[in-house]
Amino acid sequence: MLKFIQFTITRAFLSLFTLLVVSLIVFSLMELVPANCAERYLAFKNTQGQNITIEDIAAEERRLGLDKPFPIRWGTWVGNVFIDGDFGDSCILRLNINELLSDKFWISLGICLAALIFSYILAIPIGIYSATTSNAVTNNFIRFISYLGLALPNFLLALIIMLFSTVFFQESLTGLFSNEFRDAAWSLDKFMDFLSRAWLPIFVLGWSATAFAMQTVRALMLDEIGKLYVTAASARGISGRKLLWRYPAKHSLGPVINSLGFDLNRIFNDLPVVALILTLTEAGALLIDALARSNDQQLAGAIIFLLTASIVLVNFVTDIMLALMDPRVRQGLVG
Amino acid sequence: MGIFSKTKPVENSQDLKESYFTASQGQLIRSRFKSNRTAMIAGWALTVMILIGLFAPFLSPYEPTMGGRDKSYENGPPQFPKFWDENGFSARPFLYTTERKRSIKTNFRWVLTENREKRRYLELWVDDWEYSFIDLNIDLPGTTFDFELKTLTFKKHLFGMDKGGIHLFGTEKSGKDIFSRTLHAIYTSLAVGTLGVLLSFVLALVIGGVAGYYGGWIDSILQMITDAIRTVPPIPLFMALAAFMPDEWSAETRFFFIATILGLIGWPTLARRIRTHLLSERSQEYVLAAELSGASASHVIRKHLLPSFTSYIIVDLMITFPYVVRSETALSFIGLGLTDPVNSLGSLMQNVSKADVLLNYQWYFIPVIFFIAFVLAFVFVGDGLRDASDPYSHTK
Repeated sequence: MLKFIQFTITRAFLSLFTLLVVSLIVFSLMELVPANCAERYLAFKNTQGQNITIEDIAAEERRLGLDKPFPIRWGTWVGNVFIDGDFGDSCILRLNINELLSDKFWISLGICLAALIFSYILAIPIGIYSATTSNAVTNNFIRFISYLGLALPNFLLALIIMLFSTVFFQESLTGLFSNEFRDAAWSLDKFMDFLSRAWLPIFVLGWSATAFAMQTVRALMLDEIGKLYVTAASARGISGRKLLWRYPAKHSLGPVINSLGFDLNRIFNDLPVVALILTLTEAGALLIDALARSNDQQLAGAIIFLLTASIVLVNFVTDIMLALMDPRVRQGLVG
Repeated sequence: MGIFSKTKPVENSQDLKESYFTASQGQLIRSRFKSNRTAMIAGWALTVMILIGLFAPFLSPYEPTMGGRDKSYENGPPQFPKFWDENGFSARPFLYTTERKRSIKTNFRWVLTENREKRRYLELWVDDWEYSFIDLNIDLPGTTFDFELKTLTFKKHLFGMDKGGIHLFGTEKSGKDIFSRTLHAIYTSLAVGTLGVLLSFVLALVIGGVAGYYGGWIDSILQMITDAIRTVPPIPLFMALAAFMPDEWSAETRFFFIATILGLIGWPTLARRIRTHLLSERSQEYVLAAELSGASASHVIRKHLLPSFTSYIIVDLMITFPYVVRSETALSFIGLGLTDPVNSLGSLMQNVSKADVLLNYQWYFIPVIFFIAFVLAFVFVGDGLRDASDPYSHTK
């Protein structure tokens, strides 16, 4: 048990270290923007008709703590984020980033996690089936789909679906909410409306993850099925689905759980572009808006950090899960 | 191991066995690759596409930039040359003359009408706009390093019309020829991919090489950093970096910048594989022998360890390539990547999600087909090479 706690703590520290490195990257990105926040605030005031001098800018910099050296500013940022979960203000929009993101980020995360679950619900049975079947047509079809998962990026798939739906159904299938619910508070009706529209982004985002997961599951199953313990089990008279689920499927589950974090990474990768095409109003779209239009690095940095943090969290949870589930790892840790 | 793979012929004769055992590594890989039909087809498709990309200016009848736009044929549908119609047969393929009108009847929108009586004929080997195969124009901040190089300039094009224009894939809203733009975009994707992959390869080699060769705490620290970078979703990170490009940068500078950031972020996966391979290889006896005879670390890495997995690296590069192209396409698509006059598949598709385009101008989607074919070809060739370079693959 002690060893297990030790393992958990080491993992937690590793995750924290990863987050620190990521925060350094994100923060350096924010600092690279040509004009700093003080200049931007005052530039805004300038447009309101106030006269701005160099001293004003210096005073504003002092007020915002921008005159301090880089490591200290980074430390403050990290401290605020890690301890209070506060990302500060966006210079461009002059709003608190937490307020700006709030449920938009949760919607994004929900859609992405749903896409992840969707892809595995599809991939695990299909992958196992294709590993056990000797039907060449099915196998080649699945192989082809997996290749297409790479060749047809999610955003192109979204475009093609939109093309077909506009040509054949005169409906462009965009947005996350209908007009009457866009600004309404969360309610059951709004949630149902959301669900009726969210299936497309979920499918599109899950698309390439599904294709990859199918290939992983298939390869793992093929490896395990050829092993002697499966032959031994089948010699003992276990056959069919029972044999598959009890032996090889159980063993190939480990690496699959391990790859969840990277699949989430892949889904996040496509989130902004898909959001742009399907005109979703959530964190991915905000990210594009922040980067491509308003050059709002504070907001962009916060979003990238949050996305990465959720991947780190998923990795941490899957590591622990794996340690608990796999008897080989468990034996080594718990003793 | 491909979709259409045949069963291997039984090697019964003594000669075949002999040649199998005496064949060099390269010969074995080549023969295994050739027996994979999917990979071979993909290989040919890829070769054709690379050639199309390289000879894009010769094959395309118009300049892909604003200079080549056809003012009288904006948002025009694709034109297919015909050999016959109700007015008779022609040995030379022809198109009809189109006229553009707008009046109260058409609600003041430009409407194209075909005049079936007036034929225009296709010509081969025509003189048109000028292009150079080597056109380097480096314009860094400051003037010391600026230089221009323009050679191999030609004016010949494969085909054109005797009068008016020919637009095989139609035109977009400012009248630029989509066919010419697609061909040039293939070239751009190839160039960005090659540059990005090479850069990330060098980085991966250095970082993975150091981690794998020295092992111990250096390896642990490098691995922790590599893993941290690997967790960040790359496309949002690309976007954040690309957002720094000042608007006044020229298209060429943007191109190099994009290729650089693609390379700078693409290395972790490759570095990890190189490191794993080196770790398992460095405990082999031939490395020990080299070290005992006083070889330096860099000598051992370069002369002994690297050659042990060159084929492995080549395969990895082939597999990384489509990812780089994909990332570039995504970047250009959202407007943070390459811009006019450099064409990329992403910037070609920039406006296609508008309702107007979806409903009326579906030919904007033609480049998508090329993109998919391009990436699929790379994936199949990469896969075929991986199977071929694995000496145990045929026993599976």
